[in-house]
Amino acid sequence: MKPTPDSPLIDRRHFIKVSALAGGGLLIGTYVRLGELGAAEPLAAPAADFTPNAFISISPSGAVSIIAPNSEMGQGVKTSLPMIVAEELDVAWAQVTITQGDLNPAYGRQTSVGSQSTPTNFAPLRRAGATARAVLVQAAAQTWGVPAGECTTEGGTVIHRASNRRATYGELATKAASLTPPANVPLKDPKDFKLLGTRVAGVDNPKIVTGAPLFGIDVQLPGMLYATYTKCPAFGGKVVSANLDAVKARPGVRDAFVLDGIEGLPSGVAIVADSTWNAFSATKALQVKWDEGAVVSQNSVEMAKQAEQLAAATPAPALPDGAKLVKAAYHYPFLAHATLEPQNCTAVYKNGVMEMWAPSQIPAVGQGLVARGLGLAPKDIVVHITRLGGGFGRRGSNEFSIEVAAIAKKLEGTPVKLMWPREYDFAHDNYRSNGWHYFTAGVDGAGKIVALHDAFVKMQGGPGDMSATGFPFNAIPGSSVNSSKLPGGIPTGYWRAPGDNGNVWATQCFVDELAHAAGRDPLAFTLDLLGGASSQSGFDAQRMTAVLKLATEKAGWGQPRPRGQGQGFAITRTMGAYVAVVADVVVSQGGDLAIKKITAAVDPGMIVNLSAAEAQVQGAILDGISAAWFQKITIERGAAAQTNFDEYPMLRMNDSPRLMEVHFVKSTLPPTGLGEPGLPAAAPAVCNAVFAATGRRIRTLPIVSESLKWS
Amino acid sequence: MSKYTLNVNGRTHSVDVASDTPMLWVLRDALGLVGTKYGCGIGDCGACTIHLDGAPERACQTPVSAVGRKSVTTIEGLDPAGKHPLQKAWCELDVPQCGYCQAGQLMTAAALLKSNPHPNDADIDRAMGGNLCRCASYFRIRAGIKRAAEIASGATPAQGGPR
Repeated sequence: MKPTPDSPLIDRRHFIKVSALAGGGLLIGTYVRLGELGAAEPLAAPAADFTPNAFISISPSGAVSIIAPNSEMGQGVKTSLPMIVAEELDVAWAQVTITQGDLNPAYGRQTSVGSQSTPTNFAPLRRAGATARAVLVQAAAQTWGVPAGECTTEGGTVIHRASNRRATYGELATKAASLTPPANVPLKDPKDFKLLGTRVAGVDNPKIVTGAPLFGIDVQLPGMLYATYTKCPAFGGKVVSANLDAVKARPGVRDAFVLDGIEGLPSGVAIVADSTWNAFSATKALQVKWDEGAVVSQNSVEMAKQAEQLAAATPAPALPDGAKLVKAAYHYPFLAHATLEPQNCTAVYKNGVMEMWAPSQIPAVGQGLVARGLGLAPKDIVVHITRLGGGFGRRGSNEFSIEVAAIAKKLEGTPVKLMWPREYDFAHDNYRSNGWHYFTAGVDGAGKIVALHDAFVKMQGGPGDMSATGFPFNAIPGSSVNSSKLPGGIPTGYWRAPGDNGNVWATQCFVDELAHAAGRDPLAFTLDLLGGASSQSGFDAQRMTAVLKLATEKAGWGQPRPRGQGQGFAITRTMGAYVAVVADVVVSQGGDLAIKKITAAVDPGMIVNLSAAEAQVQGAILDGISAAWFQKITIERGAAAQTNFDEYPMLRMNDSPRLMEVHFVKSTLPPTGLGEPGLPAAAPAVCNAVFAATGRRIRTLPIVSESLKWS
Repeated sequence: MSKYTLNVNGRTHSVDVASDTPMLWVLRDALGLVGTKYGCGIGDCGACTIHLDGAPERACQTPVSAVGRKSVTTIEGLDPAGKHPLQKAWCELDVPQCGYCQAGQLMTAAALLKSNPHPNDADIDRAMGGNLCRCASYFRIRAGIKRAAEIASGATPAQGGPR
């Protein structure tokens, strides 16, 4: 198999060349920064290469290399971010080679969370491409002795029509390399985009379908050993003692030791072996006496009781006279991220430098953890970004980085791959917080909502608080939200569409309840509410209305259906994008749910890559349905009770709707990201459809915990 | 540790591993064939699907000692040039999202197409129900299998790029 620049199977010679081309990259062979070698001594890169900035390199042969700065986890940024550069550079996509960038300040914001990769990189990457193009035009103009303003570009060629002269970017590279890039360059008018908005297949697809190494788990280094790290099942617990001698006597085990007292690293036992299987087998034989700590007293049953008490302490204001009271309590559970590639990381510590291969959404966080925990300077922690086998917010916290680095430091000179068994991945997640909504509303005689109160409860810490400025609160004067927090201890974190992933489910189901309480069609009711919504926090009621109308129109909203069949919808504004989802479901009398069709309308501003955009919306919708339908992490004795996919089921092909339509609103507004916005409205659309089909209102997730039988 | 001679992707390999080592880790750690993925270790997710004598099996549930003379095919051996109709269809329709499950999806789908060259939706549900996709790329996996069936029967490329 041929090593490639971003393949985890590292070819050192090739890597050094790529590092030099990227400019400001790090050399893994000698561990010095490029600049320290002196600018007068370019390395393996031929002097004639044109590298106007960290992202672009054009060789005299015509090869165009573009760096993908952010982590690819399925959201498509390894393809879509270079597309932005290529658009402004004005090169044919087929000419371009994409290389995954390492962690490097020259690449700007290498943080792939919050659907922010696209919006934060859009303008800088456009400028990077446009600047390079301007220099190439200048090089051609100087060569031909014509004004730059008379030159145009097309498909990697500069053209001077008046004299019928053309030069490829490759032919101009040497000249361009000698010019100083201008500070300010004009950007294309979006109506002239040729590449952005089209369907472009993922650049790694050929490797994925042939099984080439790409992911963190695929990293192989000469002499590499394999490690596990065992932490206390109850969060915050510490090692008292362990049967290390027995573990060391197991086949293939090279070392076993306790790690404690390292900042940012929970106490635990490291086992190092000559294969993953021998490490896993020895880990099964590990017996640890734990000091379990205080969190062991926490459990999900007790949390529910506490949540009810907390909510009762923040009663709703009195309803206006004559208003009918509508009350409902909604609850969603903890969720695991369960990325299909379990957490892992590879590191080698040599000559004072920690070199790491990290499947991380925020590699700088891992670098920071290692710097603080092990007392290394950030410049001595080299981080290569691998492809991620799913992210969903899981791989921002980077515990695997400090775990493997602490082990690698002890085994100085030997590369170590840390592998979390699937069971550890479930046991040591930063879960989506559980949440409770105790809604109280008033409906007047005309069917108008005159009061809305939400007593909301979640875990202390982490994201996902309830906003009083979102829909429908922004459409009901005097509405209020009171947030209360359960004691912390169980770690909670960012899970795809934080906050919205549970709160939009609860609020959108309750809006459907209110429509029925008011005796109105949910669509007409919601459109009326949107008509009175304020624009707090940038909420654009017109964009929200437009996607709701589009989705319901495409889905054929309002047609009568026999009992057992139902249609439901929900809306959300998530990460700046506007989404409406309509679900068509069938529920058998025995209570079996089948999702027949999903129709979505999305306004994310401009589309960068139509193929990836559509795939993200499809996947996010099904992810939202999967979680709501099947998934729940239960805390017992301060630990997660579910250990693997048999106890934490996931949507499968046979549960997946065969019909899915995703409609995008045409827009010239700057693009939002699309990794998350598709998710929040999916589950409430399905639950509202179940109500329409059966009269059963699902107020506790997962859906499988509720009976859907009807007669 | 015991020595085993294995036929993997048409080549003979010798490995020296513990006899209870699942083929998953023999392939990945001993042979460096990392296309076969670890997802659950309990045969529930399908990410480690390989073929034994052409039949789909879970590599994490197949101890090396049980393989014997059976021929092992991994994703690396499906078609190294990427010209299998499923590989072509996967690229044409841009099926992968994170891509981690796709080796297993492809190996299961390849076995399906071999026994049933033109599967309908129900056939696809039955055959593919054991392969989890955490990104839920199911809509395109289904389309990809149908497209591969077309490619295998000589249909021309679809118009309009990936869908």
